[in-house]
Amino acid sequence: MAKTVISQKLPPDIDPTKAPLAYGDRALPRLNRELNDKELITRQRALMTLCDYLHDPEHIADALRVGVAESLKALLSDKDPTVRHKTTEVLYVIATHNKGRDAFLDYGIIVPLSKLFDDSVDLARKNAHMAMEMMSEIPYGAAGVVEAQLVPKLVGKLRDELNEIKELILDTLHFCLREETMHALVAGAMEVFTELLGHNQAIIRAKAARDIMDLSVPLDGKNKACEVKALPPLVGLLKDGDTYVRSMAAGAIATITITTQGKYLALEAGAIPHLVELVEDKNSEVRLNSLKALTTLSEAPEGRKELLKHVDLIKKRMEDESQAVVKAATIAVRVITWKP
Amino acid sequence: MTTVLPQKQEQHGGGTYTFSSRPRAVQQRKKYRDAGQGQDATSLYGNIMYDRRIVRGNTYAQHTLPASAQPDPIDIQRQQEARRRAIARKRAKEQLRPRSPEAVEGRKHIDVQTELYLEELTDRVEEADVETQTDTFLDRPPSPLFIPAKTGKDVATQIYEGDLFDFDMEVKPILEVLVGKTIEQALLEVMEEEELENLRAQQREFEELRNAELVETQRLEEQERRHREEKERRMKQQREVLRKEKETAEKIAARAFAQSYLADLIPSVFGTLADNGYFFDPVERDVESGFMPWLMETVEKAIDKSVMGRTMVDVLIREVVAQRMESFEALQRSIQEMSGGAAPIVSQTVVEAPAFIAEAAIPEVTPAEAPPAEEAPPTEGEGEGEQAEEPEGGEDEGEQAEEGGDDAPGEA
Repeated sequence: MAKTVISQKLPPDIDPTKAPLAYGDRALPRLNRELNDKELITRQRALMTLCDYLHDPEHIADALRVGVAESLKALLSDKDPTVRHKTTEVLYVIATHNKGRDAFLDYGIIVPLSKLFDDSVDLARKNAHMAMEMMSEIPYGAAGVVEAQLVPKLVGKLRDELNEIKELILDTLHFCLREETMHALVAGAMEVFTELLGHNQAIIRAKAARDIMDLSVPLDGKNKACEVKALPPLVGLLKDGDTYVRSMAAGAIATITITTQGKYLALEAGAIPHLVELVEDKNSEVRLNSLKALTTLSEAPEGRKELLKHVDLIKKRMEDESQAVVKAATIAVRVITWKP
Repeated sequence: MTTVLPQKQEQHGGGTYTFSSRPRAVQQRKKYRDAGQGQDATSLYGNIMYDRRIVRGNTYAQHTLPASAQPDPIDIQRQQEARRRAIARKRAKEQLRPRSPEAVEGRKHIDVQTELYLEELTDRVEEADVETQTDTFLDRPPSPLFIPAKTGKDVATQIYEGDLFDFDMEVKPILEVLVGKTIEQALLEVMEEEELENLRAQQREFEELRNAELVETQRLEEQERRHREEKERRMKQQREVLRKEKETAEKIAARAFAQSYLADLIPSVFGTLADNGYFFDPVERDVESGFMPWLMETVEKAIDKSVMGRTMVDVLIREVVAQRMESFEALQRSIQEMSGGAAPIVSQTVVEAPAFIAEAAIPEVTPAEAPPAEEAPPTEGEGEGEQAEEPEGGEDEGEQAEEGGDDAPGEA
């Protein structure tokens, strides 16, 4: 417990790397002023403080009002690596809020931020990608990213980035692909994703599979997926140890096998036995996706013939605790037992 | 905590009370009992009834302050000197006492009774034993304090109370602020991350459903497309079938028509062709083209001959008749001459008729002969026995002539 005796002297400057905060309302205007300071150390300290300060959601709106976004935009092209790194971190924190994402679009921060994708500092790149990922979480943010023609660049980065950054890029692309897939297809995203299916990290495999699913939503994507032979590796992933990977692979197969060509390729790759195993999986998403994939596969006569052996297993799923699985199982049974 | 020091001024009869206390550390209760420590602690406490610090009675009647509050320094010094001297004297006396020499190596001095009679040495008084058992204490001798050998020079500096930074005291507020701020910041970040995590979880849940529905929609779309295509194909097929049926029907109709059309054609064509002479019997044709002309020729020749014959016969007949007429006339005249003119009229008519017949018969013979000549072959054999015919022909002509002769009178 604190005693009544306190020192006459002020406490020493505890963290010399951080700028002291002004009291109350004056905190953010002062930080913003310091962000534009000529002195490097002042800028760095202000950024450090801002990083911590903005974690409180109450301060985001104030910060944007005093024009922190503009200052940060200018700082993105700073010469000092620490400044760039911390700037991107602050931008990431801001991008987690809706208001911040609006500001990104208003001040056109996306393009300067994307310049940092080529930065030499790993942390700055990572934070930039994190901010971009956050940005693309909402539809109009993703639209902004697509508009800035960043999709081909991101696809290109996917080949030779660090693993954790790859993860972020896959997330960003996931949201962008919902908006638009043409650019990605032209940039050869399907080939890259197919390569990543063999990655040694489970999360990257899963996200690559998920992106294949997104990419193959339009017809061109499905055809492309068949063309680059994405199905055999996807079928291989159905046996993966990671739940997320399995579920995403099943989902991707379900999406690709909508086309007749896809159906036959999947049947050739021997997808049905694995998918039938997944129907009993513990995770509801895996069950759901595998049921969907089985439904699409059973539309092919060969698939239906094979699946008729497993109808009882699928019928059991009609008493599943997940409502969606029940529905999917009902549809699957109906499609499998359909007779012309 | 303060300690009441024994008041020295009392002896000097100083009226005022002064108090001073040495700074000393707070005594903590030791874990082990220490001999000679307990007495000190107890002596610190005094009875407040006799404590001079407590004012009793009316404070107005307090005696006034003495001129000098401080005790005489000389007096104090003298007293101290006297005490020091007493201690020194005591120590000297102790040292002067004769002692037994040191014990030999391996031996030890021990107290021994030297009296004549040994007796048990005890100063114990008669007592009754009453026991009580307390918990056993861990009686452990205090470990000797480690005092490192002193090095260097002693330097002293005066520090007043409160001058020094008391870490225990000063660090607390700072630490509290630091910890508080850190925890607050950490909490914010954790909450932020947790919120993001929750959002992600919800997003994934939503995506799970969305993907399923999307796949379902696309599947149905695809199904619909296939069905439509199938339907179109079927319709096309059906149309094709219909078209073919129609075509077939038309063909059948055309065939039927053609058949019906052609059914009449063949006979008519054959008829026409036959009519036009495309189909013929070679024998017949030979008969017609070769035999018949020859036959005709031959017949003509035969007829010519017969005509010739008949003409000859006619000529002969005429001559005969003429001769006969002449002879008859001659006869008649001879009769007339003989009998007178009994039947000149009759003879006249008889004579006239054959002449008439002869005249008429000659021109008539040629045309009238042709048809019977033609008709003759089929009816008669091929002109065999023409010679035999002649008498007949002659007879016919004769008959004709006779008939003509018969008719003529009628006409006439």
